[in-house]
Amino acid sequence: MPLGYIGDFFAVGLILGLASFVVSIAAVDSGSPYAQLGSSRLRSFGALNEPTVIFVTFVLALTTHTDLPYAFGATLRSSAVQVLRPSHLLMIAAFFMLVLVETGRIPVENHGSTLEFGQIEEARVVEHSGPGLAFLRWGSYVKQLLLYTIFANVLVVPWGLASTGRLDRVLLAIGLLFVKALAVGTVVVVIESSFAKLRLYKIPEFTVASFMLAVLAVIIFLFEPSFGDGQLTVFGAIATITAVLVLLLEFGLLRSQDVWEQLRLYALGSVVVAALAFATAASGHGGSSLYVLAAVTIGLKALVFPQGIRFVLRNLEIEPRVPSVLGVPSGILIGVALSALAFVVLRPVHIGAEAALPLSGLPVAVAGVLVAFLLMVLRPYAPSQLLGFLVLENAVSVASLVIAPGLPIILALLLLFDVLVGVLVFVVLVQYLAVERTAVRTDVLNRLTG
Amino acid sequence: MSWILYAILGAPLAAVLLALSGGWRLARAATVLAGVMSLGFAVAIAIAVEHGRVLATAGGWIRLDSLGAVFLLATGLLYAMAAVFSVGYLGVDQSHADFPRFARRYFALLNLFGWSMLLVPLVADFGTLWVALELTTIISALLVAIDRTDAALEASWKYVLIASSGLGIALLSIIVLYATGTHALGSAYVPRFVRFLAHGHGLSRDAVRLSFVLAVVGFGTKVGFVPMHTWLPDAHSEAPAPVSALLSGSLLSGAFYAILRFFQVSVASGQRGFAEHVLIVFGVISLVAASFFVLHQASYKRLLAYSSIEHMGIIALGIGFGAPLAIAGALLHVITHASAKGLAFFGSGSLLRGYDTKEVEGVTGAGSAMPWTGPMFLAAALALSGLPLSGVFRSEFEIVVGGFERPQYVGVSLLLVFVNLAFFGVIWHAGRMVLSPQAAPGHGRPVRERSAWMIAGMLGCLLVSVALGVHLPGDLAALLSNAAHRLGAAG
Repeated sequence: MPLGYIGDFFAVGLILGLASFVVSIAAVDSGSPYAQLGSSRLRSFGALNEPTVIFVTFVLALTTHTDLPYAFGATLRSSAVQVLRPSHLLMIAAFFMLVLVETGRIPVENHGSTLEFGQIEEARVVEHSGPGLAFLRWGSYVKQLLLYTIFANVLVVPWGLASTGRLDRVLLAIGLLFVKALAVGTVVVVIESSFAKLRLYKIPEFTVASFMLAVLAVIIFLFEPSFGDGQLTVFGAIATITAVLVLLLEFGLLRSQDVWEQLRLYALGSVVVAALAFATAASGHGGSSLYVLAAVTIGLKALVFPQGIRFVLRNLEIEPRVPSVLGVPSGILIGVALSALAFVVLRPVHIGAEAALPLSGLPVAVAGVLVAFLLMVLRPYAPSQLLGFLVLENAVSVASLVIAPGLPIILALLLLFDVLVGVLVFVVLVQYLAVERTAVRTDVLNRLTG
Repeated sequence: MSWILYAILGAPLAAVLLALSGGWRLARAATVLAGVMSLGFAVAIAIAVEHGRVLATAGGWIRLDSLGAVFLLATGLLYAMAAVFSVGYLGVDQSHADFPRFARRYFALLNLFGWSMLLVPLVADFGTLWVALELTTIISALLVAIDRTDAALEASWKYVLIASSGLGIALLSIIVLYATGTHALGSAYVPRFVRFLAHGHGLSRDAVRLSFVLAVVGFGTKVGFVPMHTWLPDAHSEAPAPVSALLSGSLLSGAFYAILRFFQVSVASGQRGFAEHVLIVFGVISLVAASFFVLHQASYKRLLAYSSIEHMGIIALGIGFGAPLAIAGALLHVITHASAKGLAFFGSGSLLRGYDTKEVEGVTGAGSAMPWTGPMFLAAALALSGLPLSGVFRSEFEIVVGGFERPQYVGVSLLLVFVNLAFFGVIWHAGRMVLSPQAAPGHGRPVRERSAWMIAGMLGCLLVSVALGVHLPGDLAALLSNAAHRLGAAG
């Protein structure tokens, strides 16, 4: 394709920015205060998005030494291992959050709402009508499709593209693109229907979070152990994705200010860990006894612990809000720094284990342990600290499944039993604390010092 | 001979069952009996393994060598004495309405705690070792919180949270060790100590180092090494005195035992120098920080807690110095520290029952008001500071001589300076409490000895401490040198 190489990332960004600039000028020209408010909001939040775009591009550029999306797609196609690097997975997460912001989806903006207070994109076009409005709508749909295409065809599944001009290939590629975009759209719809819109002044936290993930992706890229030539196994793929998912869920816990939401995130993380145990057993590592471990993990960590803790906390009628002692962006920044530290420290370490094990999951799991510590420090509330301990245990479980899947089942079950007893003791103490102090804050626990 | 391993694990469990099923008097009797029996069994086991014999049973899951026997002895001693002392310590509250329930709960937990700590040196692999150590944390957290006062709950919460998180890191160290072992031992195996020792050279250098550091940080949280020590003074000062004694003399060294197993693996894989350096660094930091905290303390139980941190630093230094004499001294220190610290905490418990305060300022003239407790508390302070005639003197002396032998001049000089600093702190406070004239008896009941059982517990510890200082039995010397040999002292 002779013109293929003109479509680099910065050119795409420039064209989109130019179009957005024109729409903003038109909005200002209309003289309506809402339209002007919309464009000014869009400008300020857009400025916060730029760093994320740049860092995502960094990851692309570091991998391929160009900023061409086609070259990147080709690199990914050359070895599927590339898609499963921890840095790449984090970059996908960052870019997905970026897509949500850029297309004005929940949790950033609500298209169905008629309330002007939260409107951004919608407010900008509020004074237009007729063919003009149609054009603007069409433009925003094109932008959405473009972003979905980059997300799907460049970052996640760069397979099934037409490499020649033959009509059947092109038609097939178009069909596939439609399917991929539909899949991305489905995920967006699920998010739209399960989350609430953020308040306007909370939106920077969301963009900062995506920026942090992009930064983490770059740092991890620089420090992750050489991974390119390892052969791809299903187990390796699932292990790395699981480790990154557990880490991302921990960042979710770090962001969350609500103890019920934290409980749900923990349960979700446990399900992911159990899935990893299933995958480990199914791929022939560690023997079929891991099915038992997976079942016990689901039962205990995804059902009994969260439901039991919820039951106890409901009975104690505790205050569900658990505000962070630091601002959320700062907390996430420290979490990113700690995760980067795990990679820097573990980079020169050779475990010398069996070659088939996906060792890149280990630094991610260690990062998970460190972020769990941070969670306990930043949330001086007994329930959150208990969850911090459980999340830490999850991260260690991931490490154990990734690099030591052969650990005898009897030991693994003993470990789980210990955690169970530990949780019981924690719960007993939480009850005492609640009865004695009518509060479960733990930063008031500072009588004993020196 | 392996029946004795079942016996030593069975006795405390039987006592737990009796405490849960019968009345509190039965619970009390069962506890004392189980404690004394455990001590007897521990001595018998130690004599059996002193020349390098290894006892194993239960399909190899339970295994004891001379190194484990050292820690079994320390735990057995304190468990027995704490059981005796508890009778008197709880007896003071006997008139309370809910005393029977409280006493049964207390004795059941105490026996369970003793059982879990006896289990630690008896297991044969890293996984079960971790499980046993986490069990000790969980059970002792309940014991720390048993009074349900604000301060006790706070201490217990900090303790269980910090120690469990530390053990999370320790679990990571076991996993790293397991992963590197897969190269030599196949993908699925039970991580027994002996297997790693036999295949030491098949382990990756990086992985062994990483797992050792993680183990020192993780288990070191429970040992009380300084940056991770923050739970320790709170838990020790708020727990009932017999529990404090068990925490300090037995639980801390039990966690140190886990580090020693990692140390063994490091030696076997040729990483001895690195492991020694790590231990010396943590030992020095703990020693220095703790001796300053000892200097100005308002509460005598916290004072003793910081002294425990100091002594754990000394043990770490002894192992780190690496000379055979220093290692044997460090292992002896585990036992001598247990006896001296047991005596000190029992004394503090007796003083607390007499004076109803944990403040140094509140205790005056203990020497005349409590004619047994006062002098013995002072003797404990002197013993802890390493004065001759006490066992601690012998073990610290061996460590210092071993350090000069190596030579590790920097470590030894720091050790000498800060041990002396802690000596001033401990003696200054204890001397004031015991030797000062008694304040005029104001309101409230007069201060007097509260129970002969408490004195008996203290006397037992005093006896052991002095006996070890005057003459080291040949059996114990053989046991220690064999254990030091297992830690690679010959090399």
